[in-house]
Amino acid sequence: MSAAIAAPHIDWTALGPISILTGGAILTLFFGLIGSSGFRRVAVPLSALTTLVGALVWLISEWSKASAGGLTIISDALRIDPLTIVLGSICLIGAIFAVLISLRSDSALGGGEFHSLMLFSVMGMLVLIASDDLVTLFLGMELLSIPLYVLSGSALKKERSLEAGLKYLIVGSVGSATLLYGLALLYGATGSTDFVAINKAILSGSTINDSLFVGGMALAIVGVSFKASASPFHQWTPDVYEGAPTGVTTFMATATKAAALGIMIRLLAGPLLPAVDDWSPIIAVLAVLSIAVGNFGALGQDSLKRMLAWSSVAQVGYLLAAVVVAKELGIRAVVFYLAVYAVMTLAAFAVVAENSRDWDEGERLDGFAGLGRRRPWLAGSMSVAMLALAGLPPTAGFIGKLTVIGAVVDGGHAWLAFAVVIGSLISLAYYLRVIAVMWFKDAPEGAEAAPTRRAPELVAIALVAAALTIAIGVMPSWPLDQAAKVTQKSLQSNTNR
Amino acid sequence: MSIAWYLAVSVIIFSIGAAGVLTKRNALVILLCLELMLNASNLALIAFSRMWGNTDGQIFAIIVMVVAACEVTVGLGLIVAIFRRGLPEDADQLSELRG
Repeated sequence: MSAAIAAPHIDWTALGPISILTGGAILTLFFGLIGSSGFRRVAVPLSALTTLVGALVWLISEWSKASAGGLTIISDALRIDPLTIVLGSICLIGAIFAVLISLRSDSALGGGEFHSLMLFSVMGMLVLIASDDLVTLFLGMELLSIPLYVLSGSALKKERSLEAGLKYLIVGSVGSATLLYGLALLYGATGSTDFVAINKAILSGSTINDSLFVGGMALAIVGVSFKASASPFHQWTPDVYEGAPTGVTTFMATATKAAALGIMIRLLAGPLLPAVDDWSPIIAVLAVLSIAVGNFGALGQDSLKRMLAWSSVAQVGYLLAAVVVAKELGIRAVVFYLAVYAVMTLAAFAVVAENSRDWDEGERLDGFAGLGRRRPWLAGSMSVAMLALAGLPPTAGFIGKLTVIGAVVDGGHAWLAFAVVIGSLISLAYYLRVIAVMWFKDAPEGAEAAPTRRAPELVAIALVAAALTIAIGVMPSWPLDQAAKVTQKSLQSNTNR
Repeated sequence: MSIAWYLAVSVIIFSIGAAGVLTKRNALVILLCLELMLNASNLALIAFSRMWGNTDGQIFAIIVMVVAACEVTVGLGLIVAIFRRGLPEDADQLSELRG
């Protein structure tokens, strides 16, 4: 070894989105400290939004280079290919809307901390999705999670929020520790933390039946399942979704899901693809359990946030069913369904946020009674979101589920498709109940006076997301083609390495 | 000495940590048990690093230490906030929310 240190090659341009988020997070924190409270109230969310949009634009501008073979940043620690860009964009867009939804939330008004933490969390998601090394995978996972623990506990006025934060911290950390132990065993089995080297070690033969390798892979999958809230590692989900401020819940439901499922396909359909026979049964079991537990858990929930939490467990089940396929069709289905799921959840949570502003009852199902008469546009958006989540035509949710089922059948797992269909049928019971309550039940006492000042931005988000849900449902060919292109290009760039 | 011994110790520490998280009631003790789980992984990483003769595992372990420190900081912060609000710091009594 020579005395001079060989510096790793760092592609600063490709690192742009992550650098912007770091700078923006620090700047946002700084804006929270200066000026009058009126200035802070405008400057802090504005700086957070500018940062997110800037990172999004920069990320998308890397498309041509990424699709031409992938960009490797910092000597193989991070890698940007079309899949990274699409999943990263879902996370960034989820964060943008989460900031918009929290504009009037108490927890976001205190200073720059709320927005700064959210930016750091998104940065963690980008690192996670782009990771090409076990070390960056773990680092991204923690950078995503630790700010989220604080964000969940950030509604200091609500007793439940702090409790949700602590619960999420404990359960999330158990997940992280499990993931880390799995990664340690994977390193032990293959002798490297680099994805490409791991892939080569698996292909060279001896490791594949190694108990170290299989154990490590199983533990890593369990660790990620905690974050994706797949059953049986979902117990924290309803509590945290209910206790956290609605903006943070939206962020968790859209961005965190995309990041967790993203790393799942990157890891499993990437370096661990040669071991597909070892991991696909594990994922299949997780998928079926999530579909069953999520759908049954959502039945009979009184709180809409809790119901959406259980339903998100079921939705992760559908996504995992597509992950089992592992081939091009499966990844395409995951990417498409993740995007669609983000849009429809956004519509649902925007309505919940607007209905429950200044009115705790508004999170409960009773609070939605008579919404159709009081605020038809809001109720209309919610109805579209519910129909889409249930997977009925002509919404995007229908096309999404169809793609998943198509992929699963094509991959030769027809019984999984059966589970998806049965799960969707059960889910009709609780999704349609919300619609029925909104349109056919009379408003409860106090509902008329409840929302003192209306928030036009929340109604606008709900309407836009609902319109998008229908638009994708009616004209699905363009987004489906894009998802296919992304998958194809990503797989190509990975096989050429 | 064979790698299996180091791994055995690491598995035992990890199991003690996991069992502690599941059975202990005090939030502070739960945080300690989480540390045990993370450090069990560190031990495994360093043992593997010796076995393979490269430094990947050692670097990983150092990064894990940094992350563990952050996690504990946030955990303690939340416990202090809960204590100040006069809520019980006993995890079983935090039952306003039910899974």
